Amino acid sequence: MQSINDVSQALLAQVVTSDTPRDILKSSEIKDLYNQIAQLDPSERGAYGKQVNTLKLNLMSAIEVREAELDNATVTPIDISAPWDVNSRPLGLLPTTYGSEHPLMKELSVVIDIFTRMGFAAIESRQIDDDFHMFGALNFPENHPARDGYDTFRTEENFIPPAHTSTMQHRILKDGKARLEAGGQIAAVSYGRVFRNEDVDATHEHTFYQCEGVFVSETATLGDMLGTLRAFFESYYGQALKIKTQPAYFPFVEPGLEFAIERPAALGGKPGEWLEMLGCGMIHPNVLLAAGIDPTQYQGFAWGGGIERLVMLKYGIEDLRHFESGKLQFLRKFV
Amino acid sequence: MIISVNWLKKFTAVDLPIDELTKLIGARIVEIEEVVDLGAKYKDALIVRVVECGPLEGTDHLNVTKIDDNGVRPDVERDENGLVQVVCGAPNVKAGMLAVWLPPNSVVPDSLGTSEPFVLTAKKLRGAVSNGMLASAQELALFEDHTGILEIDNDAEVGASFAAVYELDDYLLDIENKSLTHRPDAFGIIGFAREIAAVQGKLFVTPEWLAQLDPTYGDKVGDIVVPTVEIDDPDLSARYQAVVLSGAEVARQSPLEIQTYLARVGVRPINAVVDVTNYLMMLTGQPLHAFDYDKLVAVGGGKVDIHIRVGRENEKLELLDGRTIELTSSDIVISAGSQAVGLAGAMGGLNTAIDEHTKNIIIESATFNLYKLRATQMRHGIFSEAITRFTKGQPPELTAPVLAEAVKLMSEWSGAQPISGVVEAQGESDDNRSISLTASRVNSILGTSLSLSEIENVLRSVEFAVVEVDHVTLAVAAPYWRADIHIVEDVIEEIGRLRGFDAIAPTLPSHDFSAVSPSAFDVMRARTRQLLARAGANEVLTYSFIHGDVIVKAGQVVDNSYKIINSISPDLQYYRQSLTPSLLSLVHANLKQGFDNFAIFEINKVHPKNAGFTDEAVPIELDALALTIASSKNQASAPYYQAKEFLEYLASGLGVVLRFEAVSVDLDQPQAVLFENKRSATVLDQFGTVLGVVGEYKKSVSKGFKLPEFSAGFEIDIAKLFEAMRDLKPGYVPLSRYPSVERDVCFQVAADVTYRRLIDAINEARGTAALAVEVAPVDIYQPVDGTTKNITVRLQLTAQDHTLTSEEASGVVQIIADKVVLATGATII
Repeated sequence: MQSINDVSQALLAQVVTSDTPRDILKSSEIKDLYNQIAQLDPSERGAYGKQVNTLKLNLMSAIEVREAELDNATVTPIDISAPWDVNSRPLGLLPTTYGSEHPLMKELSVVIDIFTRMGFAAIESRQIDDDFHMFGALNFPENHPARDGYDTFRTEENFIPPAHTSTMQHRILKDGKARLEAGGQIAAVSYGRVFRNEDVDATHEHTFYQCEGVFVSETATLGDMLGTLRAFFESYYGQALKIKTQPAYFPFVEPGLEFAIERPAALGGKPGEWLEMLGCGMIHPNVLLAAGIDPTQYQGFAWGGGIERLVMLKYGIEDLRHFESGKLQFLRKFV
Repeated sequence: MIISVNWLKKFTAVDLPIDELTKLIGARIVEIEEVVDLGAKYKDALIVRVVECGPLEGTDHLNVTKIDDNGVRPDVERDENGLVQVVCGAPNVKAGMLAVWLPPNSVVPDSLGTSEPFVLTAKKLRGAVSNGMLASAQELALFEDHTGILEIDNDAEVGASFAAVYELDDYLLDIENKSLTHRPDAFGIIGFAREIAAVQGKLFVTPEWLAQLDPTYGDKVGDIVVPTVEIDDPDLSARYQAVVLSGAEVARQSPLEIQTYLARVGVRPINAVVDVTNYLMMLTGQPLHAFDYDKLVAVGGGKVDIHIRVGRENEKLELLDGRTIELTSSDIVISAGSQAVGLAGAMGGLNTAIDEHTKNIIIESATFNLYKLRATQMRHGIFSEAITRFTKGQPPELTAPVLAEAVKLMSEWSGAQPISGVVEAQGESDDNRSISLTASRVNSILGTSLSLSEIENVLRSVEFAVVEVDHVTLAVAAPYWRADIHIVEDVIEEIGRLRGFDAIAPTLPSHDFSAVSPSAFDVMRARTRQLLARAGANEVLTYSFIHGDVIVKAGQVVDNSYKIINSISPDLQYYRQSLTPSLLSLVHANLKQGFDNFAIFEINKVHPKNAGFTDEAVPIELDALALTIASSKNQASAPYYQAKEFLEYLASGLGVVLRFEAVSVDLDQPQAVLFENKRSATVLDQFGTVLGVVGEYKKSVSKGFKLPEFSAGFEIDIAKLFEAMRDLKPGYVPLSRYPSVERDVCFQVAADVTYRRLIDAINEARGTAALAVEVAPVDIYQPVDGTTKNITVRLQLTAQDHTLTSEEASGVVQIIADKVVLATGATII
C-alpha cells in the first residue's frame, strides 16, 4: 500500500507532463486510496479522508495550471507585422457615436483650465505616498486625533494611499521656495485620486478625486483667499455668486474654514440655498516651516475640494458609485 | 455630539429663534448636521395624579386607575368628579403618585418618526375603557427602564405639560465633532454655551464652582482613610486627583430632571453615582471615573496605593464591558499596588466595578497624555464619550473644580460623604504662555482693518486675559480651558471666527503678471482621451486596488503588488500592477448588459513593486494607458489587428510613428504577462524605446476573465509615448509637381513569411531607386490549404523633377520585385 504522500508526489509529477491531465483524477491510484477508507478503523477514517481530499485539491489546482499551459500552447501564431488578417480587410474603428470621455476627467480639465488661466500651475497628485507627506509635513503629529478624520489605508510597508491631495503641498512649497525668495509667489493646484477607508454607498466612495490649491506670498490674506475662491466659482458657473464660510478644523491651516456658494442659476439656483464646496484656510506656520519657508516673512492660503460633487451637481448624477463602475450604460450618456 | 439648547440656556441667554441660532453656530462655531425638535414629541404629554388605583377584575396584572389632569385635556370622557379612567399594566402604579399621561389622539413619543406612529385612542381593555395611557420612560423615548411607568419625582402641578416641567420643549443640535477636534472646552455644555454667548456678543459668566481652581471638597466624615497616588512617568498624566467617599446608595436614582437631560444627549441614566460622573462630563468635558473602594483595597493588598503607569509585558485586564485585553507599554494603566484596575481614560476594570453592593467609592478626576490615549483607543477599539473628550486634551486645571462639584452632587444625589482628603499627583503640563499681538499682524493675515480695541473686545468676550503692552501691542493669555491656543495664528483665528469670517471682504491677491502654461503631459493625455473617444472607445475609471485573485487570473505575481493591510474588502486588497486586469474585469458584465461590441480604455497610474523607489523613497508610479476591445459576435479578422488599429490611430493623431515587433521572449513584465506572445507585438517608438504591448490575451487569461473569443487590447507607458511625441522632428517632404504612377504587385510567399520581411525588402530596394516610392498593402490572400499566401502591395512612384515614363516605372518596380523575390523566395503572380 502506497502512502498518500507517495501517491500525491507521483500523480503531481504525471500532471506536469500529461497532455490530458484531467484523466489523472480517474486513475487507479486514487480509486485505491478511496477503497482503503472502508478497511480503516472508524476512528482513523476522518483524518485519512481529509488527507485524501487535500491530495485531490492539490491535484485539481495542478491540473488547472497544466491545462492553462496546454491551452496557451495550442495557440496558432499570427503575422503581427501584417496590416490586417489574411483573407480579410481592416475592421476599422468603432462608430464615433459610441465613444466617450469619462465625465470626471472632462470636468477635472475644466477646473484645471480655470486655475491655469488664473495663474496656478497644475501638478498631478501621487496615488501612493508616505506618512511624512500625508501627515507629518502638514502639522499632524503622530497619534494626533485629527488623523482619525482621514480614515487612511496603509500598505504593509506603511505607505499610504493619500487621503487628500494635500499630500503634494509640502513638495509644492519646497519647489516654490526659491521663486518666493526671488520676490515671486507660489501658486499651484494639485489634482488627482484620493482614498479613504469608507464603506461605499450612493454618496460615499473610498476612491474619489480632489483638486487642491496653494498660494503663498508676502502679503496673502484670508480675504484674498475668499476672493480667489469666489473668482474660481464665478468663472466655473459663469455668474456672480454669493459666498459663505463656516469655521472648521484642519491641522494644516490656521484659521480653517469650510467654503460654500449660493446655488448658482445653472443648477436651478435658489437664494438662501448653500452648496458646501471645499475646505480652506491660511497655511499653518508649521507647514511653511517644514518646507523651509520663513512664516514670519511669508504667508499663504490653501484649499481643497472634491471633483465628483461638481460633476454630480452639473448632470444631476444620483449615485457616486457610477463613476468607477465601468458601466457602458452610464459612460455612453456622456458621448 | 448632541447639544441641548435648553441646557445651553442654563448658562447663557439665547434670544434667537432656532433657525437663526443654528445659522449663527454654523457660521461661527461648528457645522450642525441635524436639528431635532424634541418638543414635538411631548406636546400632548401631561403630568397627572393617580387618584384611584385598583386591580381590573379578571386580569392578573392590570389596574384601573382614575387620574386627575386638572381638567386641562378637552374631549375626554370623565366621571362625575372630572377624573379620567386609564388602564395600566405597570407594577409600580399606585394611588397618589404623579405620572405622565398620554391622552387619546396623542402619539406615543417612542413611535414618533417611525414608519408606524402609534396614535392612542379611548378603547376597551378587558372590558374597561382606557383613555390613552400612563407612560414609561421608554414609551416617552427617554431611556430604557423596565420598572414600570415614569414616576414624577418633584411636586409639579397636576395638569402641567410634561415638556414644560422637564424642559423637554427643547431643540437638539447634532454637531459635527471633527471640526472641534482642537476644542476640548467645546465638548462640554458650559464651554459650548460660552461660545454661544461670544458669537451673540454677550458677556459670559463661568459658573462660580467651575471658576474655582482651588476648591474645597466638603467636610470629611467618619473613618478617615489616606490613599496615595503616584504618576510613575510624568509624561503619562499632567494631573491625577482622587477622593474616597463613603455611604453611597447605589440603588438611588439621580433627579428625574437630570436623567432627562442625560437621556436627551444620548447618555443612559444608570444610578445616582454613575449619573454624577456622566452629568459632570457632559457639562464640563472633564470625564470622571468611580471605582468600588473596597474592591480596590482588596485588589491592592489592603491599601489604596494608586499608580499611573504603562502596561507591562503579558499583562492583561478585564474591562467593564467584559472584554479581556492585553496591555502594551503604550497603554496608560491605573493600578492599585501593582494590579491593573483600569485602562486610563478609556474604561475601568471589572475588578473594581461599581455594583449593587457598593458602599464606598473612589472618584478619579485626571488628565492623560492624549496621544497615548488615542493609540490605546485605536488599538483596543474603544470609542466612549469619555475617551472622545480625553483625546482632545483636557486641561489639568479642570480636574479640581469638577471633582469638588462631584463630591457635592454625590452627597446630594447618592448620600455619599468624603472620608479622605483629595490626594493628588502631578506630571508634566504645558505652560500657558502669554502671546503678543499687534493689530497690523491680525489685519495682515485676515485682510481686515480692525482696531486694537475691537480686537481686545472680541478676546475679552471669551475670557482671554488681555493687557495693552503699548498702544500697538497686546499681551494675550488664553483662559486655561483653551488648551488649543499656542501661537499668534490661533488667536487670530479666534478673532476672525468670533467676528465672523463672512464679514471679511473678498479681495484678490497680488500676483506676478506672467502666463502659466498647461502641463504638456496633461495636454497630451487630454488629446489621447479625445482621440480614443473619437475612435468609438469609452473611457473608464477603475479602482487602484484589486483583489488578489484578479492578479492571479492575470498571471501576475501577487508579491509584486503593494498590499493594503486595512482594506475594506478582499476586492480592494492590492495595488494594481497594470490597468488591463481592471479593464478585463469589466468586459463580461458589459457584454451581459447587451453591449456586444465595444472598446474601453483607461489612463491611470499603476504601482508594480518592481518599479522601485523615487529619491524621496516613495514608490515610483508609472503612467499607463490600456485599451481593450471585445465583441460577442464573430468577426472576419483576428482581434489583434483591430487592437493595433486603435493604437495606430492614436499614434497618428499624436504624430508618433510606432513599430511593432514580434515578441521574442516571454513577456514577463506585469503589463505584458497577460498577452499571448504568439499573437501579440511589442510596441516601440521611432527611436526604438519599448512602449508596451498590443495583442490578444492568453487563453488562460481569457478563461479567467470570461472574455469572448474576440478580445484584444494594448497597454503602454503613456509617459514614454509622451516623450516619443515630444522628441519628434517634423518629417515633411515637399509635394512633387509631377504626377505619380501606381503599380500593384502580387507576391506569393510561403505562409510563414511575414509582411514585415516583404516590406523590409521593398524598403531596402527603394533606397537604391532615384524615385520616391510609397508602399501600401492592397490584399492578403491565403488559399484554403494554408501553405502559401498572396500579398499584394501598391507601389506609388514619384519623381521630384520629371514626369515618369512607363518604362522607367516598370524598371523600378522590377528592381523592387527582384529584391523581394531574393529576400523571401516569393513568386510574382
